[in-house]
Amino acid sequence: MASTETFPELPLFDLELQPEDLEAVAETLRSGWLTLGPRTAAFEEVFAEHLGARHAIAVSSCTAALHLAYLAAGVGPGDEVIVPSYTFAATAAAVIYCGATPVFGEIVSREIPSLDPEDVERRITPRTKAVCIVHFAGYAAQADRMKELCDRHGIALIEDVAHAPSATLHGRKLGTWGLAGAFSFFSNKVLSVGEGGLLCTDSDEVAALARSLRSHAMTSGTWDRHSGRTDTYDVVGLGYNYRLDEPRSALLLSRMGRIEREIERRRELTLRYRSLLADVEGITVPFTDEEVPTSSCYVMPIMLAEDGRQAEVSSALRERGIQTSIFYPSIHRFTAYRERFPGVTLPITELASRTELTLPFYPHMSFADQDRVVTALDEAVRTRGGPAA
Amino acid sequence: MSDWKIALTDVEVPEEDVQAVLECLKSGWLTMGPRINAFEQALAGFTGAPHAMTVSSGTAALHLACLAAGIGPGDEVLVPAFTFVASAAAVRYVGATPVLCDVISPSDFNIDPEDAARRITPRTRAIIGVHFCGYPAQAAALRALCDEHGLTLIEDCAQAIGATIDEDGRQVGTIGELGAFSFFSKKQLCVGEGGMVTTADDALATRVRLLRSHALTSSTWDRHRGHDPAYDIVDVGFNYRMDEPRAALGLSRLGRLSDSLAKRRESVRAYRERLAEVPGVELCFDETAVERSSHFAFPILLADRERRDRFRDDLKAAGVQTTWYPALHTFTDYRSYVPADGLPGATEVAARHCALPLSSSMRIDDVDLVVTAVRKAVAA
Repeated sequence: MASTETFPELPLFDLELQPEDLEAVAETLRSGWLTLGPRTAAFEEVFAEHLGARHAIAVSSCTAALHLAYLAAGVGPGDEVIVPSYTFAATAAAVIYCGATPVFGEIVSREIPSLDPEDVERRITPRTKAVCIVHFAGYAAQADRMKELCDRHGIALIEDVAHAPSATLHGRKLGTWGLAGAFSFFSNKVLSVGEGGLLCTDSDEVAALARSLRSHAMTSGTWDRHSGRTDTYDVVGLGYNYRLDEPRSALLLSRMGRIEREIERRRELTLRYRSLLADVEGITVPFTDEEVPTSSCYVMPIMLAEDGRQAEVSSALRERGIQTSIFYPSIHRFTAYRERFPGVTLPITELASRTELTLPFYPHMSFADQDRVVTALDEAVRTRGGPAA
Repeated sequence: MSDWKIALTDVEVPEEDVQAVLECLKSGWLTMGPRINAFEQALAGFTGAPHAMTVSSGTAALHLACLAAGIGPGDEVLVPAFTFVASAAAVRYVGATPVLCDVISPSDFNIDPEDAARRITPRTRAIIGVHFCGYPAQAAALRALCDEHGLTLIEDCAQAIGATIDEDGRQVGTIGELGAFSFFSKKQLCVGEGGMVTTADDALATRVRLLRSHALTSSTWDRHRGHDPAYDIVDVGFNYRMDEPRAALGLSRLGRLSDSLAKRRESVRAYRERLAEVPGVELCFDETAVERSSHFAFPILLADRERRDRFRDDLKAAGVQTTWYPALHTFTDYRSYVPADGLPGATEVAARHCALPLSSSMRIDDVDLVVTAVRKAVAA
């Protein structure tokens, strides 16, 4: 196995931290206070202000944030939550954590790969408790129409904002349209820290619930006790350990200072990619140039026009030292989901999953590397190789 | 900020730890990869467990242990009433019922194997044996009880890394089918938030590894190294991963763990010597237990709740931070789990104990300062 391992010359993503980030983490470590405390509180305040949300609650991952968001929406056994299948599995898995059933909705098209409001409306039943929209690749799903639809049916709108910190729709930050938004700080994300996530909300009750459940529904924290504020605690519900720790909060806080600049760079590079890719035959590029300025431009997805060539093109690129990924295989086609929820058919989602390739992309990517990716992709699409293994 | 003369515990992060984390951050690779692998290998070596899997917390470790053990709705799991809430919450996550058991005695406050035996029903699937405060539970008796009744033994080692269960130095986390550890910031080996599952069973290890990362058949690291980008999801898993900076920190700290446990033990012995003859103070456990414990905390017993509470107020006034651990059945959310015959031992130890400051950086002067405050408080 080891002999065939190759580190890609052009990886899918790459992370460059700055000296100020390292200094912030070092200072936190030297302080000796590592658990939920002043730095996490400071980061939450900055992030809430950045979003224009009343509350931001830092947690251990976006999966944890989604779990808490669904619980806050009252999702429980017997309930249904409508989610896209064209997303990472956590969006649906967190529904199952609550004992509820994920109902998979269809996306609009391969060019607009987010939940189709009309399709969602058809899937609403008396058991539907919530809809979760995913702002795929950092581009706004139809949050405005979904909000209107959810309000009309008296169900909660949850936003999976894992890809889209700082992105907007009609000038309003994504994550603030619904009852709660779930962000990811996973290592390949726009604002990455290793493992981490955050729940934002304007609702005081949702915030109180999320704060309580992220730390075992305990009525006081270690920091409260250390600072002499309280002495003991009660446990008032079934909570979790979904806490973020101080070194990660310090890193996030430091990186927040550059987030707008980094996303601006992502937008420039995305527009450049789009203009180069416009000349490649046999592919389409989701979204439009007009959406780029309000997107967080998390990744660079393309769709192969022809079905059945994904593995072949991906391995042709890999042979040229270029790593690609698939954002995303359809959740309902995974073994675990086929077993639990058989008979789901979503033709547009399935076609997107079979034809999508995600190209290398990060803020410090060079123009030369972009050119190299596009040239290699053009060759790979034009050259018909044998069937990939 | 507090102005404790002696805080309950203290975490020192020397420069070599800071550099290990910074080096990892500079590498730009933050998700599960080479540092996690190295940390897990070192942890397996330290504990003597064939498999050590890092996870996001001790709670996550317990949850995954319950899942891997196949515990589910309708099942009962025996859990001591005197423990941190995660020991029982993890049982509830998988839809099973925690059945609370009493302690041996207030001064020997781990799960009582005889009380546990009385609570076994046809629905009982497992025992969560907690090594509370670092003192090893009656591991051999629990192992025998589990073997006799076909139960799984899950060791909750959240507070007990490095504690031993016999004269050969066999470590906690290696006698149960599964062990769950915590690297929370106050723990003997701390990284902030973090945990670990140990097991000798290959199939259980595979299951834990799968479920900690959404039951994906390949990882980001695998794909980065040129493996096929396609993957399957074969179960409903979780994001219970630890990341590389925490693994770097843990690995750096692990090298000093044995020394640091020895220092804790030294402080505990100094405390015990000085407090042995103090009227109104009762020591917990015996010398064998002190030798085997990894000393997360140093609890002593006072006469009753009223005197304990007054004692704590006096120590607080003297600038000495203390704590105590409520028993599970006194929590609002656990009242319905109280057995009909009550839990007199757990109730008593929760009411009477007080944990005094303890850390690996504690000096003998600190112990003396605390002891002086203790003497004054009990004399009052």
